[in-house]
Amino acid sequence: MTTTIGEAIGFWILGPVALAGGLGMVFSRNAVHSALWLVLTMLSLGVIYMLQAAPFLGFTQIIVYTGAIMMLFVFVLMMVGRDASDSVVEVLRGQRVAAAVLGIGLAGLMIGAVAQSVGVPLAAGAPSGSNVGGLGLLVFQRYLLAFELTSALIITGAVGAMVYTFAGRAKSKAITQKERVAERLRGPLEKFGSRSGPGVFATADSVATPALLPDGSVAPESLSAIIEATARERLGHATELSRPGDEHDTAAHSHHAERGEIQGSQT
Amino acid sequence: MNPLPPPGTPGYTQALLADDPIWLTIVKVVVVFALLLVMTLFMIWLERRVVGRMQQRPGPNWNGPFGLLQSLADGLKLAFKEDIRPVLADKAVFFIAPVISTIPAFVAFAVIPLGPEVSIFGHHTALQVADLPVGILVVLACSSVGVYGIVLSGWASGSPYPLLGSLRSAAQVISYELALGLSIIAVVLYAGSLSTADIVSAQQNGWYIWLLPVSFIVFAISMVGETNRAPFDLPEAESELVGGFHTEYSSLKFALFFLAEYVNMVTLSAVATTLFLGGWMAPWPLSLIPGVNSGWLPVVWFISKMFVFLFVYIWLRGTLPRQRYDQFMRLGWKILIPVSLVWIVAVATLRVLRNQYGTISAPVVLMVGAVVLVVAIVVALMLPDRAADDDDAGSEPPVVGTYPVPPLDLTVPTSPPKRRRAVSRGPAPETAAVGSGQKEDA
Amino acid sequence: MGSQSFSDALGVDYGALAPLLIVLGGACVSVLLEAVLPRVRRRSVQLVFSLAVVVVALAAVIIRATSGAGDVVVLAGSLSVDAPGLFLWGTLLALAVPSVLMLADRSVEPGGVFVADPEALAEAQERVGAGSLRSTSSGLPSGTGTDTHGVVGRRGGAGPEPTTPPEMHTEIFPFVLFALGGMLAFSAANDLLTMFVALEVLSLPLYLLCGLARRRRLLSQEAAVKYFLLGAFASAFFLYGVALLYGYAGSVRLADIAASAAGPLRSDALLFAGLALLVVGLMFKASVGPFHTWTPDVYQGAPTPVTAFMAACTKVAAFGAILRVFTVAFGTTALEWRGVLWAVAIASMVIGTVLGITQTDLKRMVAYSSVAHAGFILIGCLAITPAGLSGTLFYLLAYGFTTIAILGLVSLVRSGDGEAGHLSGYAGLAQRSPVVAAALSFCLLALAGVPLTSGFTAKFAVFSAGLADGMAPLVIVGLVCSAIAAFFYLRVIVLMYFSDPAPDGPTVSLPGPMTTVAITLGVAVTLLLGVLPTAALEWAGAGTFLG
Repeated sequence: MTTTIGEAIGFWILGPVALAGGLGMVFSRNAVHSALWLVLTMLSLGVIYMLQAAPFLGFTQIIVYTGAIMMLFVFVLMMVGRDASDSVVEVLRGQRVAAAVLGIGLAGLMIGAVAQSVGVPLAAGAPSGSNVGGLGLLVFQRYLLAFELTSALIITGAVGAMVYTFAGRAKSKAITQKERVAERLRGPLEKFGSRSGPGVFATADSVATPALLPDGSVAPESLSAIIEATARERLGHATELSRPGDEHDTAAHSHHAERGEIQGSQT
Repeated sequence: MNPLPPPGTPGYTQALLADDPIWLTIVKVVVVFALLLVMTLFMIWLERRVVGRMQQRPGPNWNGPFGLLQSLADGLKLAFKEDIRPVLADKAVFFIAPVISTIPAFVAFAVIPLGPEVSIFGHHTALQVADLPVGILVVLACSSVGVYGIVLSGWASGSPYPLLGSLRSAAQVISYELALGLSIIAVVLYAGSLSTADIVSAQQNGWYIWLLPVSFIVFAISMVGETNRAPFDLPEAESELVGGFHTEYSSLKFALFFLAEYVNMVTLSAVATTLFLGGWMAPWPLSLIPGVNSGWLPVVWFISKMFVFLFVYIWLRGTLPRQRYDQFMRLGWKILIPVSLVWIVAVATLRVLRNQYGTISAPVVLMVGAVVLVVAIVVALMLPDRAADDDDAGSEPPVVGTYPVPPLDLTVPTSPPKRRRAVSRGPAPETAAVGSGQKEDA
Repeated sequence: MGSQSFSDALGVDYGALAPLLIVLGGACVSVLLEAVLPRVRRRSVQLVFSLAVVVVALAAVIIRATSGAGDVVVLAGSLSVDAPGLFLWGTLLALAVPSVLMLADRSVEPGGVFVADPEALAEAQERVGAGSLRSTSSGLPSGTGTDTHGVVGRRGGAGPEPTTPPEMHTEIFPFVLFALGGMLAFSAANDLLTMFVALEVLSLPLYLLCGLARRRRLLSQEAAVKYFLLGAFASAFFLYGVALLYGYAGSVRLADIAASAAGPLRSDALLFAGLALLVVGLMFKASVGPFHTWTPDVYQGAPTPVTAFMAACTKVAAFGAILRVFTVAFGTTALEWRGVLWAVAIASMVIGTVLGITQTDLKRMVAYSSVAHAGFILIGCLAITPAGLSGTLFYLLAYGFTTIAILGLVSLVRSGDGEAGHLSGYAGLAQRSPVVAAALSFCLLALAGVPLTSGFTAKFAVFSAGLADGMAPLVIVGLVCSAIAAFFYLRVIVLMYFSDPAPDGPTVSLPGPMTTVAITLGVAVTLLLGVLPTAALEWAGAGTFLG
């Protein structure tokens, strides 16, 4: 099999790019950058496949790996947080050195093995015919069992994901929306969450009508300092009405004090 | 050099394009590039005008005839804006994201056949930049790479709203790319080829929109999802996320996102035209006129069909409110994908039957379909209804204790002195309010 | 191409494929049942269905083996249904019966080990509440385990008898069936690609099953994650090996690789590099030392029924595949690579025995013993002779049943908060429950290889095959290691019979009917294969692999 010039040029451009992507992936501290380097590698590989007259494989590589799988990675990494980067703390002493030595050793062995066989003609196993058709024949005839077994794998994966992530519910009646509302309004959560702002429940728009807080007490902020009589009357009732320990109680007092101060300074 | 296969057979366009001299290819590339740029400017204008008309206002009508130069002016203005890069931004990625988002949008258009064989300066060629044997995959690949631009821009901006936008975008693309790909499969099954030119020539006897309506609907819906357009424009939902993924972008980088969005729209409209509307072929009554499907005229048909889709894009934007995110995901995963899968199985079954027993006439198909439909309906009727939810029937409305509920009848405000007395009596207003509420329920 | 010619070209021999198709099809139906059935009926239906699937598949294997149908290669050469393959299938399916029974049993703990999430949560909360209650009133007995007669039922748990038993994760049944299907395909795969996919199909459900002990969530999920990560790593090695071998032979078929190796000179570097990587992946699954590091943690962390299933069936499938690869693809080059695997076998035996002595947890001890046994089995695999083949097959059958019985018994010895794994808990077990102690002793003796148990016969078969093939040093190491290993088995027996039980020590639960059946089956087969091994040995030696 001969190599055309275009193929050679493509290879010598894309090969280093793919390699750089791989190295960049390993040495990036930032997880998203790592993923992007990997994307670069996969894109280069896809284009190399296309140059090798396997456009279907090349584009599938881009769609599946770059488009779907790496997108999923990036998605998860973005969830992790933008500034998350590798921890440089060594958990096991000497582990990094050992890993580097062993890794380089393994790489040396593999490169040696492959290098020894370079030049020795490899057995040609490529199917003839068109890309898609050839793949179809391989998938649905020669490797039919492997293909079907893959579906078993995917079913297992899907069911497993559900088993692990879906916590299920205890055997209890489903809560209706109505019950949820009642719970929200009267239950233990009554104190929390947002309540309607003061004034929502006022039935008149006069300045003399004080706004009511959700618990029925008067909102001190709504009391007009100018209509003095109203204010005095209101405040007396407000302290009476509000329940002990209520947040509005203390709020009313503090507001009252504050207001008095301001009034004092003004007059 | 291989001898040309006869016209109309699969692979003809590929062989034809293989003979293109380099200058011709360059000319085509430049023309397509320019076409897409102009289309973008025009689309922005058209969108503003059409939406304006739908909202009973004129839209841009000042610069140039009918305001046609408005988008050009806007584009120029954008170019002169200050280019801001947030301090927290990831420099390299922030810079490269708009580029990643724009380039694939243009690349995908290369495989769209704009017209049949024509003669340019004495060269016989097809009106198409490139015809790959796996052309339709190029479109999918480009759209899947283009999304990286959006996703990365949001991430690199270093601010929460863009990040949310890009998270949405990533999930959106993963979901809708599946539906998009599945809807294409039926077309490929019928055309017997992945090449766009072959798919067009396979529609000589009937457009696939009639043959494969389900695929078409799924494609059309997921096309909108894939381009992040209303009602699926969740990544840039203004009301929730300020500007979504491009919140932090300005100047030309922002313009690139804008460009990418519109080019994507144009490209996907062109793909839809190619796959389902017979590409450059003339619509039915016109197609009876001889010679209407050759030469340069088909470009007109192509562009007009494309504009149908583009108009629908605008129409959707002017009509539909944005979907909620969970509804959007449910539509993709629980409706579009299952429907596509069932449809593909049905189409493949038909194909196998036809291959084995020769041509199956349309009545047979219709009859089988009708029988299946009847059986399905009968089964659906026989299935017991879900047990009636007896929670609602006869149960008391929630008694809301002392918590004041706004009166439902919104009574006329009473005079201040009376109210004052009512309030001073204590919890009177609440009980009144609750009472009115109950009365209203009963 | 019509469907007629399609199936012709494929050569689908449904008779030969029946067991595999039944199991995988059953798994798919089981997933559907999971979706369709109401929650309350799932467990019973799934249990009956899974058992039926396994039994029918077993029947199909037996019918196939006795019908005299010849060895065939089916599905375009991706699966080889031959005599050893059928023996492996039969072994796997036979081992699956007690495994499924043990998985389904929930009489010892309410809801079983796979109790569904909400129930586990509620139970945990209840326990916390009960614990605080208990601390205030010290007169109450702690837990249910104070019955000095030893055997108590824990059917109700501590609280009042619930009206319905707590639910369990019934998804374990499809998982087990899928894993079983993967194992069947793995042990019969005739090309490396199918073997790889089958490896994943058998592994993924096991990873998932390992993490489902809901009452010991942390330990269990840690085990699952460890198993998954290391397993994925091993799969990568396997796949890299396949790639190199494909580069060497231009085919992933085992027979083609053998043909290429025998053919004109190519660079053998690729062949042996590929073999090395392939072997790493295979040895990992078979938990042969030094690729065993996952074994103790996973055996200990996984729910005990899953440990039993994994220990018995995975070993059978993995060694089946190892045997097939060694015999069919690399038989002709055995002399060149055997030396390295000698080292692996020795390492495995030594690691298993030496580390096994230091263990104080019975499940970990079983794990290390499985590493040692993997070394013994590897001796049989390395002797690429009919005697080695039959000996190994027999060993796998014997070891599987013994292990299941042991782990079944382990699950019965319980302290207040679950299984009492620690060896000290077994002190004086014979006084509390003589039957359990006797059964456990018998199985441990079988592992040690004492005559009249299956372990002796198996070891004898494997070692004699090794000797006959000129592996005397290896056999001597094996014998020494067996002797050392016998020490820690005997230690447990001594502990059970000659120590006094601690007053607050664990109790022995009354096993449910299904666990009883499983344990009885294991013990019976261990005894039977020890006393009358001839029939099984004959079946194991009935034929050779078909490439």
